Amino acid sequence: MVKNMGLQAEGAGGEPSGTVKELSKYVPEARRKPGELGIAAITFLLGALGYYFALDMTSGEYSSPSVFPKLASIVIMACSAFNFIKAVWREKPEASLTLTGYLLPMDVVVVLVLLVAYCFILPRLHFVASSYAFMVIGMVYLQRGKNIVRALIISAVSLAVLVAVFRYLFLVILP
Amino acid sequence: MEQNLQYFLIPFLSWEMMMLIWVGVFAGIWVGAIPGLSVTMAASLLISFTFSWDLNSALALICGVFVGGVYGGSITAILLNIPGAPAAIATGIEGYPLAQRGEAGKAIGLCTTVSVFASFVGILALSVAAPVIANFSLKFSPRDFFLLAVMGILLIGSIGGGDPIKGITAGAIGVLLSMVGMDPSTGELRYTFGNIYLMAGISFVTAMIGLFGVSEALTQFRNAGKKSPKQNLDRIIPSWTTFLKYLPLSIRSSLLGVFIGALPGTGGDVAALLAYDQAKRTVRHPSRPFGTGAYEGIVAPETANKGAIGGAFIPMLTLGIPGDAVTAIIIGALYIHGLKPGPMLMIETPHLFWMIVSCLSIASVALMVLGLVSVKPFAKIIEIPKEIIMPVVIILSVIGTYAIQNSVVDIFYMIGFGIIGYFLRLYGYATGPMVLGLILGPMLDANYRRAMQGAENQILPFLEGFLTNPISLFLTLSIVFLIVSQTSFYRRWRGLE
Repeated sequence: MVKNMGLQAEGAGGEPSGTVKELSKYVPEARRKPGELGIAAITFLLGALGYYFALDMTSGEYSSPSVFPKLASIVIMACSAFNFIKAVWREKPEASLTLTGYLLPMDVVVVLVLLVAYCFILPRLHFVASSYAFMVIGMVYLQRGKNIVRALIISAVSLAVLVAVFRYLFLVILP
Repeated sequence: MEQNLQYFLIPFLSWEMMMLIWVGVFAGIWVGAIPGLSVTMAASLLISFTFSWDLNSALALICGVFVGGVYGGSITAILLNIPGAPAAIATGIEGYPLAQRGEAGKAIGLCTTVSVFASFVGILALSVAAPVIANFSLKFSPRDFFLLAVMGILLIGSIGGGDPIKGITAGAIGVLLSMVGMDPSTGELRYTFGNIYLMAGISFVTAMIGLFGVSEALTQFRNAGKKSPKQNLDRIIPSWTTFLKYLPLSIRSSLLGVFIGALPGTGGDVAALLAYDQAKRTVRHPSRPFGTGAYEGIVAPETANKGAIGGAFIPMLTLGIPGDAVTAIIIGALYIHGLKPGPMLMIETPHLFWMIVSCLSIASVALMVLGLVSVKPFAKIIEIPKEIIMPVVIILSVIGTYAIQNSVVDIFYMIGFGIIGYFLRLYGYATGPMVLGLILGPMLDANYRRAMQGAENQILPFLEGFLTNPISLFLTLSIVFLIVSQTSFYRRWRGLE
């Protein structure tokens, strides 16, 4: 699973479908990915902020509450610096690959927008209406506008099953 | 002896108990398969409406749910790369590549068979060696739990993806995030910034659903339109030869599971991860290289987390100390039914002990039948086009997250973690170590500080303890071995490279 994540990520960059790459040995890629320096900088910043805010915690003893937050922050900063330097050494990304094109293909952007919208409408429309809208719009978009009736029916049936099983059988409270 | 056998046979002779066990296993499999709806939650939900039942029926249902739920968590890990529970994280590492090869049926079939075997190992340990294991587990000090957590953190080398430094970065971020909230020993607030929602900390289950479930869905959307692999369902039940081939590994991992499960505060999740790591280090000729769909990588974590079920009951029934979250709920139920779990429980009510052993045995048989029957419908899930299944997976993730503490804020966290996980994956940062950090961070922090306080905040006495206490010494040497065994020198020497 975890190793396969690399495959998934690289799959978008042209990995042939249906193949499972040999991942037992790590082979570094020659070129860095667009934004790779940025992500190393962000994780470094996270570590630095973690350390900075840990300074406010009680310290002074080896068993103080600040020991592990500081330790974790230092590890993050050290590893991020290493990742940054390693990425700098590698060749620049392919010119044809833009940061937004690599990070956010249109399908992902649409699903992210749908997810954020879902979060906003969930407290207002509650679970059934907002989830139905999310599923229908998601399915219709991802099927490129085809099979609208099928999406309407599948969403309704899936939602009915989910509500019946979780709300009424397992007594789970739905949002 | 004869009387114990009579107690053992009670559930076999009661059609009501028998039916409740089977219903529990069935419900457990399906609930456990949903990310976020854990076996703990299923047990606590069910227990609330068993208060008015007699104790035997309640125990029958709970044992069934426990066994089924732990198994169910692995199904979605194999099929969709989304573990139903933390105990199934390791299973997905090898299971998902197998599903991508069209071998989901065979993977789930093997998972079911070895799971049943491991359940029986756990039950056997419970019925034969319970007092011995329980007394030994009580000898563990905070320093030993700290060392155990360090062993767990070393797993980053195994599940950290191709780049170990990126794995460590993700793991350390997980540990840092696990520090958010109120410090349980001093009450001091850490990284809460005055936000009341952060005071309770970040639930690792919420993070797990986001980092695995939502980020997997987003990653899949990059490849929308790509056909899902056709699953080969001709031969689901593994042959006798296959079973025998994996038997030594199954026995090793089950026993590891029993032992880890018996330690209070640890459970199937830690056991499964340790067993996966152990398999990766010791199996010389895996069916495929680890990380690409090695069957050994399914056998080890699955047998460990099932062995941990029997293990978790050991301290509960003999000492009144829960081995994990589910047994903590069962202890609550026993109190409600007027019983006092502890050393006297086995003396005053031996029938309860043998009935639990019996219920777990029946549940394991039910798991074999229901698990194998469910393989085909489960495996078909993966053939559903991503455009249809992924929006449903997201909604399931929402239900699972909300159910943890009925909080919409958790859904926002879950989606936030999903987006972070998606970006991290794109740059080769595995999300597994981050979840590992979130799980083990509090265990590391709390036990390190307790051990340090025990040494009166003096470094030298603290370090001395690692060498003078036999259990600590054994764990320290194990950690040294774990580190040495990762070096290429050792691997070449053992013929693993």
